[in-house]
Amino acid sequence: MSPTHSSGSWRRILGSLALALVLEQLPWSGWTLALRPDFLLIGVLFWVLHQPARIGFGAAFLAGLMADFQNGGVFGQHAMAYVAGVYLVLFLRLRLLQFDPLRQAAQLFPIFLLVQLLLLLVGWLAGHPPIELAVLLPVASNTVMWFVLAGVLRLWHGKGMQDRA
Amino acid sequence: MAASDQLMFARQLGATARLLIWLLVGVACVVADSRYHALDSLRSGLSLMLQPVREVLRVPADAAAELGGFFTRHRQLQTERDALRAERARLWVSVNAAREISRENAELRALLQLQQRPGQRVVHAALLYRGHDWFVQQMMLDQGAAAKLRSGLPVVDARGLVGQLSQVYPGSSEVTLVSNPEQLTPVVIERTGQRGLAAGNGRGQMELRYMPGHTDVRINDRLLTSGIDRVYPAGIPVARVTRVSHLQSGPYLRVAAVPLAGLDRARAVLVLLAEPPPVQAPLPPPSGAGKP
Repeated sequence: MSPTHSSGSWRRILGSLALALVLEQLPWSGWTLALRPDFLLIGVLFWVLHQPARIGFGAAFLAGLMADFQNGGVFGQHAMAYVAGVYLVLFLRLRLLQFDPLRQAAQLFPIFLLVQLLLLLVGWLAGHPPIELAVLLPVASNTVMWFVLAGVLRLWHGKGMQDRA
Repeated sequence: MAASDQLMFARQLGATARLLIWLLVGVACVVADSRYHALDSLRSGLSLMLQPVREVLRVPADAAAELGGFFTRHRQLQTERDALRAERARLWVSVNAAREISRENAELRALLQLQQRPGQRVVHAALLYRGHDWFVQQMMLDQGAAAKLRSGLPVVDARGLVGQLSQVYPGSSEVTLVSNPEQLTPVVIERTGQRGLAAGNGRGQMELRYMPGHTDVRINDRLLTSGIDRVYPAGIPVARVTRVSHLQSGPYLRVAAVPLAGLDRARAVLVLLAEPPPVQAPLPPPSGAGKP
């Protein structure tokens, strides 16, 4: 089987990441902003899980820089957190691919949590102390979002997205 | 062809090494940005690039608001109209009073030969985007350097002071809100005239800092800008005092206040374009030579 089958074409990867970026640009406010999942992070981790040869540390770093700009933070804050998330997903990759969406999401929860904590830590060191626990809300919404995404894709493809080329 | 995902004969660095390299790059970015502000041009370029996207994405929300407004009930409109009429009548009374006062004030100023206040111009701006970072209390506006904005200008809405422009890009600008802990606003207590410094506490509220224990502050006192910093014009409402308590441990009062401006609801704001105060050049010695 050719490694460039349709589920991992560049067009799809870049299209989905661009869509994630656009979703983040929506004028979120109030509690929707507090609950907004980190679409870029989910997109990057998804493609690292399924196409590790194409999306890796460099792409995650670039996406993180975009997220930094997006959130008005220090450049490098999201970038470092995303890179760490990519490392963890690569580390657990073969294991994660075995699971159905619900368990996959449950396994990703600690990864999202670590990414968010790293984000807070870097922001703290850069001079912005964290303020309240609502900062951790996106961890939950990221997990839910991952579950929904993985579930929908599995239904879409009949068997699931567990492509190991 | 591209079989590099067969990791058996991988000729690249291990994942841990690459993680460390990228983390180092990240640390370099953080330091370059927060210490030396070396990446501001990148920020401004990204802002220029994403500006059209943000404008387009605001359209659905605006359209929804428009549609919601269309279906507002007739009765509601009538009550609102009546309320507005009553308010207009009241406002006319105060406008007349204000005119009287400003005339009187002009005369007094002329008497005192005070420098006239610099003319105020305003630029209307709309909220483009609110950042997600809980650390930084700021928002983006849809007007920028093209509308002659520059960083440092005050931003107000209908109820009070919103903040100060901290970054200006060609087509957009960034406002640091008064609720930002690092944003200090010189204020005066409306009732007593006591001056003080208000700062954000980071949770959308403000506090009045360094108020000696015997200061006369009460709940519901309004705080106005004092104007002594030459940044904000005097008399813009900033906040209302909600809690006053004595600290056991320190000489200062703890005064909490809520910002009057709708920091998380305002969609349209005004940027006050004050002309920079003219620097008084020393008068040339009267030489008597006639000028052409």
